[in-house]
Amino acid sequence: MKIDRRFLLRGTCQGALAVVGMPFLDCFLDSKGKALAATGRPLPTRFNTFFFGLGLTKQLWIPKTGGKQYEMTGQLKPLEPYRAKFNVFSGLRVPLDDNPNYQHWSGAAAAATGISPTKQSEFDSKTIDQQIADVISHGTRFKSVSASAAGDPKQSYSSLGGANALPAEASPLSLYTRLFGPGFQDPTKGDWKPDPQAMIQQSVLSAVAENRKDVMKNLGAADKARMDQYFTSVREAELQMIAQQQRPEIQAKVTIPDAPKEMVCNNALPNLRAVTPIMARLGALALATDQTRVFNLSVSEPGSQIFMPGDSLGYHQSTHEEPIDPVLGFQPRVAQYNVDTMELFAMLLKELDAVPEGDGTVLDHSLVYAFTDQSFAKIHAVDGLPIFVAGGASGRMKSGFHVAGDSSPVSRVGLTIQKAMGVSLDVWGKGSMEIRQPYTDLLA
Amino acid sequence: MRNLAVPFLSLTVLASLVGVEAASAAPSAQVASMRRLTQAEYRNSIADIFGKEIEVRGAFEPTIRIAGLQSTSTGVLSVTPVGFESFSSMADSIATQVTAEKYRAKLACKPKSDKAPDDACAGQVLNQYGRMLFRRPLSSDETKNAVKLSNSLAKSQNDFYAGLRYGLASLIQSPNFLFRMETAGPADNKQYALDPYSRATRLSYLMWNSTPDAELLQAAEKGDLNNAAGLGKQVDRLMASPRLDDGMRAFFNDMLELDTFDTVSKDSILYPKWSSGIAASAREETLRTTIDLALHSNGDMRDLMTTRKTFINRNLAADYQLPFAFKGEWMPYEFAADTGRSGVLTQASMLTMFSHPGRSSPTKRGVAVMDIFLCEPTPAPPANVDFSVVNDVNGALKTVRERLMAHATNSTCASCHNHSDPIGLSMEGFDTIGQRRTTENGKQIDLSASIQNKKFEGAEGLGKFLHDNPKYTACIARKVYAYSRGESSEDVAASAFKNANKAFADSGFRMRALLKAMVEDKDFFSAPPPETTKTATKLAAQ
Repeated sequence: MKIDRRFLLRGTCQGALAVVGMPFLDCFLDSKGKALAATGRPLPTRFNTFFFGLGLTKQLWIPKTGGKQYEMTGQLKPLEPYRAKFNVFSGLRVPLDDNPNYQHWSGAAAAATGISPTKQSEFDSKTIDQQIADVISHGTRFKSVSASAAGDPKQSYSSLGGANALPAEASPLSLYTRLFGPGFQDPTKGDWKPDPQAMIQQSVLSAVAENRKDVMKNLGAADKARMDQYFTSVREAELQMIAQQQRPEIQAKVTIPDAPKEMVCNNALPNLRAVTPIMARLGALALATDQTRVFNLSVSEPGSQIFMPGDSLGYHQSTHEEPIDPVLGFQPRVAQYNVDTMELFAMLLKELDAVPEGDGTVLDHSLVYAFTDQSFAKIHAVDGLPIFVAGGASGRMKSGFHVAGDSSPVSRVGLTIQKAMGVSLDVWGKGSMEIRQPYTDLLA
Repeated sequence: MRNLAVPFLSLTVLASLVGVEAASAAPSAQVASMRRLTQAEYRNSIADIFGKEIEVRGAFEPTIRIAGLQSTSTGVLSVTPVGFESFSSMADSIATQVTAEKYRAKLACKPKSDKAPDDACAGQVLNQYGRMLFRRPLSSDETKNAVKLSNSLAKSQNDFYAGLRYGLASLIQSPNFLFRMETAGPADNKQYALDPYSRATRLSYLMWNSTPDAELLQAAEKGDLNNAAGLGKQVDRLMASPRLDDGMRAFFNDMLELDTFDTVSKDSILYPKWSSGIAASAREETLRTTIDLALHSNGDMRDLMTTRKTFINRNLAADYQLPFAFKGEWMPYEFAADTGRSGVLTQASMLTMFSHPGRSSPTKRGVAVMDIFLCEPTPAPPANVDFSVVNDVNGALKTVRERLMAHATNSTCASCHNHSDPIGLSMEGFDTIGQRRTTENGKQIDLSASIQNKKFEGAEGLGKFLHDNPKYTACIARKVYAYSRGESSEDVAASAFKNANKAFADSGFRMRALLKAMVEDKDFFSAPPPETTKTATKLAAQ
């Protein structure tokens, strides 16, 4: 019998414990207090994105001072309970170089890829979540999972590049079904066993992949690239089947709830307030049970069509048409919508922080990258995008800071995130957004 | 030994060089277009191949609109991991149903034993369905792979039908089914032309929004689609079928952008009456009106802009504030002459899709009409514009028109708004959910407009303007052409559909005449010659 490290450690905890007299807790925490799964492997660090359209109001969200002691601002108020667990970045630049400012797109794409987009609605590279998934998602059932609280599968900012976005689950029920429906083996239950179907499906997939060479011939260059993506997808499905044959190592004590009811998912704010926490909760459970390590949640498209019933203008239209109040110096209705979206963001943080595992919570073992399309939506400005990074990345990211206006390109945040996530790279972004220097002070 | 090896080696090199030369000079076949099946195409194809009783459950990757058509994106998009996951499990579910006990009588053969592999029977079933799924006969390798898979799983599961299930599932998730591959080979004048099976595919998805049926595949096999008489016979057959409705519904659903309804939300406080039921009905109303005019009454397509005839159900009667005293679900209805209604322009669908949740938008409506009916897309507005004046309902400017005009005095804005706004303003007699109105914030709405020095009044005036505008009918022809080939409507040269457009006009703008002339045009199945090896390499390196 082959004895691997995992087997040995399992033995140490369950068998040798009494002999050695090791304190119970220590067998779950290594010397630095880092959480270890029951079998001895450190808990994986997970990655999340949160997308909200139309930015925030400069006068109301940027704290007056940088560092840790900043005074909480009005628009960040909803995030107050998690203050110690997130960083907020102001003054980031989004240089677009020679490309046009694609309204409601350039800023979002730049934040997601570190590249100024050359086309409307297309990403010029894989998005950051997919770059990270390539590194951290080995062995999980889903490489990444995306959800749209507004109920539109197209509201996904997760892409392998080009016009193809990975479609988002468009209702809590569809998100639930994908994660915990057919094919899900509950790792929190004692009777976990591999699904024999997974192995069979794996052989079906490899038969599909076998025809690759034949299919590829006679294709022009563009179609070849598309077909390549198809076969990459087949390969990922194979990996998914392989992952399903092994019990995920988890430490969270969670119960998978019953399926949620059908809900109305659209741009009306009351519906978003009902749907967002449920999707966030399902995402947190998916991370805790290691069904995926990358979860993306969006609450709107860029140019957010969110509206409060009774307001005939809605969010996006208000940013362009609401006059700036001469006394206040900003657009009051827009400012309210800004705060509303921060409340939705807080719902995600709340759910991630509500699931305990190991020495902390899922949030502590994650990073959450929150980004948007515009800094001042009224004029489609992109410089100064409000950006947040929440979570501790299993101790690799320090938090609680306002990183104030240092004029770095927005890609510096992306590079820092990837360093914290353990992605090995020295440079990220392109053109004026190419960056080599992460925020080293934030990295632990 | 040594002496022998050298000439052998050089011969091999020579042979491979010749091979490369031959391949780059004139490949025998080239995939001219590769389009991912839409949700409707997939569902219809499965129903046609395996029967309507087969359930298809799962999520489909969304398409996007390019140059006015979703269908264009099917030639650009691929299958993402999330999309494939869904395709893969749908394939398995379909194959499971097809090999289930109650379906087995329909299969072409019975295995020697239910508990063991039977390659002959598996091969027969897989070949039969494979030909329908791939819209062409399977290659011997394709058959071999599927049979091999069936065999090994039948063996491990001790179950012939389990093996067959997986073999079949492998075909249903194959790119050869999920993508419509249109293959072209060299024809006259250095041009390439689609092979017979690809012709059948293009015709069938255009006309029926589904996979070629047995007769059409047989016509392809016999080479009938390569001569005018044989092609004409099949075209006539496809067009005589009631299934032409399905094909044209799919086209008009795309052209009229009715999928926009998937994401339309209305303000529940300002418009409590609005419901998802009204949304679905409004979409159906427009499709019924269009198909009735285009196919059932063989009408003049220009009338789509002016007719007051429509179909309503209970939901729509509520929306249009009409009495509904009818037992059935749908009834034909004709709006009164004084209602200001004019064709699909004033149907609830168009009026609600191109509005804000809580108010109408002349700009959205104007831009949509230009784009959908005139094939004139509007560029994005400049980034830094002060729209505040448009919004202030409490100021001196009471109506949308007054507010919009004030903003359009800015010359940069005016260049586009002068095109789209008159159109949208003439439709202001209808609110964001399509109800008629005469005043806004207490002031009478002015419905007058002028385009290219032609003055008109209200939606009826707009309808007449479009009815008489040759750009409108040419736009239909352009979009049918782009739709049928998966090309961008903006990149299609007017010469490509010139003959079809002329036949359209000569017939008094009958949809069938347009379709027939288009697919029987000598260039309908032509394809550009493949990229030379050089450009292909260059593109691949990018």
